[in-house]
Amino acid sequence: MAEETATHATTEAAGHATPFPPFDTTTFPSQIFWLVLTFAVLFVVLWRVAGPRIHTVIADRRSAINKAIEAAKQARADADAASAGYDVALAGARARSNALAEETRQGINAEIAKAKAGADAQATAAMTAADARIEASRGAAKAHVADAARDAAIAIVARLTGETVSADDAAKAVKG
Amino acid sequence: MAGENPMEQFAVRPLIEAPLFELGGHPIYFTNQALLMVLVTLLSASFLTLVVKPGRLVPTRSQSVAEISYKFVSDMIHSTTGSDGLRFFPFVFTLFIFVLCCNFFGMIPGGFTVTSQIAVTFALAGLVMLTVIFVGFAKHGIGFLKLFVPHAPWYLLILLIPIEFISFMTRPISLSVRLFANMLAGHTMLAVFAGFVVSLGAAGGLLSGLAIAPLALMVGIFMLELLVAFLQAYVFAVLTCIYLNEALHLHDQH
Repeated sequence: MAEETATHATTEAAGHATPFPPFDTTTFPSQIFWLVLTFAVLFVVLWRVAGPRIHTVIADRRSAINKAIEAAKQARADADAASAGYDVALAGARARSNALAEETRQGINAEIAKAKAGADAQATAAMTAADARIEASRGAAKAHVADAARDAAIAIVARLTGETVSADDAAKAVKG
Repeated sequence: MAGENPMEQFAVRPLIEAPLFELGGHPIYFTNQALLMVLVTLLSASFLTLVVKPGRLVPTRSQSVAEISYKFVSDMIHSTTGSDGLRFFPFVFTLFIFVLCCNFFGMIPGGFTVTSQIAVTFALAGLVMLTVIFVGFAKHGIGFLKLFVPHAPWYLLILLIPIEFISFMTRPISLSVRLFANMLAGHTMLAVFAGFVVSLGAAGGLLSGLAIAPLALMVGIFMLELLVAFLQAYVFAVLTCIYLNEALHLHDQH
C-alpha cells in the first residue's frame, strides 16, 4: 500500500507540474484546521493567563511607584512641618531668653540702683554728721579762741596797767 | 539545499503519512506547517506566561520582553482606537504575537514560514473582517452601513458609496496578500540567492570564489527580512486596530 501511494506521488510529480505550493487547495483543510486550533489555544492562553499576569505586574509596579512617590511627598511634608515647628520653637525660645535676659538686667539694675541709693543715703548721713561735727568743733574752737583772746587781753591789761579787768568787759572788748 | 526549486520551501507536506482524521470529507494531516504552528503557540504562550512573575517589580530581561510586547500592543490599540478599543486587546495581542512568531520562526533556515501560506493569512484576515463586521453591527445596528456613506454631497455619493463598499470588501484580500506576498517574496529571494551560492560554489575554480558575492547579498537580505518579519506583524496588527476603530466609531474621530 505504501508502495502504491509512493508510485502515485511520483507519477503525479513527474506527470504534470506541481502547482504553486501556496495555491495547492488540497492542503487548505489541514492548514485551516491547525490554524484554528493553535490560534484558539494561543488566544485563550493570552486572554486568560498571560495577559492578566503581565497586566498585574505592570499595574503593581505602577501602584508601587505611585505609593513610593506619595510616601516621599508625605515625608517631605512632614519634614517641612517639623522644620516649621523647629523655627517656631526656636523663635519662641529666643524671645523667652531675650525676655529673661531683659528681666534679669532690669532686676540687677534695680538692685544696683537700690544699693546705690542706700549707699548715697549712708554717705549723705555720714557727711551730714561729719558736717555737724565739724560745725560743732568749729564753734568750740571759735569759743576757745574768744576765751583765749579774753584771757590774753586780761593778762595784757594786767601786765600793762596792773588793773584787773573783769572777764565780761574783756570779752566785750575783744569782740568789739 | 532543499532543492533547486525555490518554491519547494513553501510546500505543505504531511509529516505523518496517514491522515489523522477526516473533517467534512477532507483528510486532516499533521504537516510541517502544523508542527510550526504548534511550536509557535506552545513557545509563545509558555514564554509570555512563565517569564512573568506577579509581584516581581524589577523585571528580568525576558519579563521585560513580555511587558514590552504587551505595552507595545496596548499602546497601539490606544493610539488608533482610543480606550474603548482595549476590549479587543486579547484578540489583537494574539494576532500580533502569532504573526510575529510565525514570521520569525520562518527565518530559521530549514524551517517553514506559516505566514507564507495564503490560506493562513486569508483566514486571519477573514477573522479580522468578521470581527469588524460583528462589532460594527453589534455597536451601531443597521447604522453600521453608514460606514459606506462618507460626508460628501449627494451627487458624489453615487460614486463614493460603491467605492467605499469595494474598498471595504477588498480589505481582507489586501490584508492577507500583503503579509503572504511579503513573506513569500523574501523567502523566495533568499532561496534563489542560496541557489546561486551553491551552483557557483560547485562550479569550481574562479567561479567558486565569486560565490561570496551572493552570500554577502544573502546576509543583507536576511537582515532586511528580519525587519520585514517584524514590520508585517506590526502592520497586520495596526490595520486590525484601524478597522476595529472604524467599526467602533464609524467616520468619527475617536
